[in-house]
Amino acid sequence: MVLVLALGDLHIPHRAADLPEKFKSMLVPGKIQHVICTGNLCIKEVHDYLKTLCPDLHITRGEYDEEARYPETKTLMIGQFKLGLCHGHQIIPWGDLDSLAMLQRQLDVDILVTGHTHQFTAYKHEAGVVINPGSATGAYSSITYDVNPSFVLMDIDALRVVVYVYELIDGEVKVDKIDFKKTTQNAN
Amino acid sequence: MANKRVPDWLNSSLWSSPGPQQSSVQSPYPSLTPLNDDDATNRSTRSATKSSVATVNAVKAEFPVERPSAPTRHVATRAKQEIRDPLSSSSNNYHSDDDNGSSASSTTTSASAAAVAAAISSAEDISRQAQLCQELSRKIINMGEVRRLASQGIPDGAGIRATVWKLLLGYLPAEKALWPTELAKKRSQYKNFKEELLMNPSEITRMLEKSVILDDEGTTIDDKGALPRSEITQEDHPLSLGKNSIWNQFFQLLSSTVGTLHWITVITNISSNMKDTEIIEQIDRDVKRTHPDLHFFSGDTPFAKSNQDSLRNILIVFAKLNPGIRYVQGMNELLAPLFYVFRNDPNEENAASAEADTFFCFVELLSGFRDHFCQQLDNSVVGIRSTITKLSQFLKEHDEELWRHLEMTTKVNPQFYAFRWITLLLTQEFNFPDSLLIWDTLLSDPEGPLETLLRVCCAMLIIVRRRLLGGDFTSNLKLLQNYPSTNISHLLYVANKLRVKSAG
Repeated sequence: MVLVLALGDLHIPHRAADLPEKFKSMLVPGKIQHVICTGNLCIKEVHDYLKTLCPDLHITRGEYDEEARYPETKTLMIGQFKLGLCHGHQIIPWGDLDSLAMLQRQLDVDILVTGHTHQFTAYKHEAGVVINPGSATGAYSSITYDVNPSFVLMDIDALRVVVYVYELIDGEVKVDKIDFKKTTQNAN
Repeated sequence: MANKRVPDWLNSSLWSSPGPQQSSVQSPYPSLTPLNDDDATNRSTRSATKSSVATVNAVKAEFPVERPSAPTRHVATRAKQEIRDPLSSSSNNYHSDDDNGSSASSTTTSASAAAVAAAISSAEDISRQAQLCQELSRKIINMGEVRRLASQGIPDGAGIRATVWKLLLGYLPAEKALWPTELAKKRSQYKNFKEELLMNPSEITRMLEKSVILDDEGTTIDDKGALPRSEITQEDHPLSLGKNSIWNQFFQLLSSTVGTLHWITVITNISSNMKDTEIIEQIDRDVKRTHPDLHFFSGDTPFAKSNQDSLRNILIVFAKLNPGIRYVQGMNELLAPLFYVFRNDPNEENAASAEADTFFCFVELLSGFRDHFCQQLDNSVVGIRSTITKLSQFLKEHDEELWRHLEMTTKVNPQFYAFRWITLLLTQEFNFPDSLLIWDTLLSDPEGPLETLLRVCCAMLIIVRRRLLGGDFTSNLKLLQNYPSTNISHLLYVANKLRVKSAG
């Protein structure tokens, strides 16, 4: 039972001041084992805050990040799943499923987490899943006007992952759940 | 009292360690012959001999020994003949400090009363068993009486060992009427522990889901496309702060176990989730290695596997509830006799709930010895080192010559041998049935097993004193680390004598 927090596109301090209060009250240290962040934090203080949630933090570089040394893409293995991480501004058209699928094949991962569109999406493509946790602060996006703060928590348990989607809609936190099983014949 | 000379009763040839035995008829300690596979008969042999020994003991003899007129029973391996008579003469000699008298009388009496003593001992056995059964059948059990009877050994006949041990460890209250409620309460408590600690919330949610939705093999969605989302309540997600959320309760339990612990282990507990798997792996390994010679514990039978699973569950629950000491190698050895005895309870209901009962009794047993397992307390007043020092002091009081020879001349540091004796309560030094007998005596001590344990360890040293005095570092260490099998009744008799001596 490994809990992995996926979030990104906070754009603090440029476009947002902080995470929403309701999100902050839920994100307490001690529960989460890994944090993966798609990018665009943008400053070191946010990095430190995420570090307090969990010492195992993975970040990829977004175009507005002030820390230049984050990698462009990252892959990690959690449980039986291979996760891939990338900000997504490099993949054009932004948010296009087929292009993201190309990146998924390139990184050879089961779950690809990207951001940049500030919209939560979860797609299934062949044997893999492409997840966009959206923007955790609901920061302004040049792509769309309709931005709700959202992030994703994945519960990885052997061959099964349960994706909990937390969205702040009209001041209320709504939680959705998505189930995904890794089919063994596609396991490489 | 600093007597440099060893008391004369110790020098009697009767107390010397087993040399090569003559014919079984003549040998005063028949159970020194190699153990047969028939554990049961040997066990009762020893308990019977112990009973005869104990009755002679001036302090303990409270009930008269019956001399049956019935024809003696002939049993092949039992040659308990002369035990009573030589002992009675030598105990008299003890009082009169006459060395030669004991050996002389032993040879004369050993020739006679060959089979009578056999019947006597088993008769005492039966009488004690009857007494124990009678005690147990009372409405309110006299714990002092039970302790006294148990310290002489619990006969295997009526299968009462499990119940007596539960009483001695305080698991069952003295008032018999409360037993059903107590047992039910404790057993359900253990069941809750298991559910909370051995199952994590994701498994629980999965189980709940399965009961609601049928698990579908193939995916009903296309290969490509958005994944279906299902809305869930505020309590069902891992970050929920709701009171009824299983996730919240799971994390509360984790954090509460952190909160109640010793300051030393705060640091080790911060990444408790990571370390959990290491501990579980360690427990797994040790459980598989427990008593590989006993079919009860090892082998491929489903029975053995289920027993191993029970041991594993108990140790994991214990480790999770006690973040202070978690799991230390050796706890499985302490657990094994308890579980064996409880699982073999003739009462079906008790045997089925053996796991729950063993857990609580294990906690009780370990409560006296926790400090031995905590590494940080090693050098403190309550740690293992100070207990070993106590043993050393004890030996010095009773047998200064041996003490001096061991510690000064041959420099055999007691840590080399006593560590295992003390932490594992002698389970590794003797075979399984013997260690059950020793545990009878250890558990019956009202002040806790530690004092008795030290006395038994001291007795173990004294019994092989001749070989120790003649040996150097290597041979002594070898002897003590592979303690030779001895007559358990004799060992316990000597241990008891040490209590008398230091009291007098």
